[in-house]
Amino acid sequence: MQLYRERDALEETGAPLVLIGQATPRHAAHFRRRLEIDLPVLADEKRVSYKAAGAKVATLDELLGPKVVAKGLVGALRSRQPQGRTIGHPAQLGGAMIVRPDGSVAWSHMSEDASDNASPAEILAALEAHGADV
Amino acid sequence: MGIIGTASERQHANPPSLADELAEIELPDQDGTHHRLGDYWKETPAVLVWLRHYG
Repeated sequence: MQLYRERDALEETGAPLVLIGQATPRHAAHFRRRLEIDLPVLADEKRVSYKAAGAKVATLDELLGPKVVAKGLVGALRSRQPQGRTIGHPAQLGGAMIVRPDGSVAWSHMSEDASDNASPAEILAALEAHGADV
Repeated sequence: MGIIGTASERQHANPPSLADELAEIELPDQDGTHHRLGDYWKETPAVLVWLRHYG
């Protein structure tokens, strides 16, 4: 949750940050407590929004291939946040999206494999480039 | 479908250009309060993040 740690910079843009996970409200509450997040975390147990966002389900190689695992380990070490128990569909990938008030998708980065995540810097840059011109 | 629910063939992420379908989706938060996604970007752009898991 590197993006959450960059929340001050994000809040300066005025854009709300919406976190969506693929489990139950109870799991969302546990996740918030564990990571000490004070934003609402939405629970999408049926993954309806994942499908509407065009998020993909990974192949085994996209989930556990050597490059993916190596990149994931580097990310975990960098963030000092070890991965906890997987809850939800284990091969469901996520992503990030910026939506303008007119409903157009200004920018998106939906994961192509388990290690493919937009960095907070990328998201903030996208907000500055695409989000502010509404 | 492969083991642990993996896809047997490589898919491509396919984000929409319009968030109309997303806007109408209502999801509960950690307390069970429902939120309509479209309400988040009614006045300003919003950043939506889909977590791979809660781990």
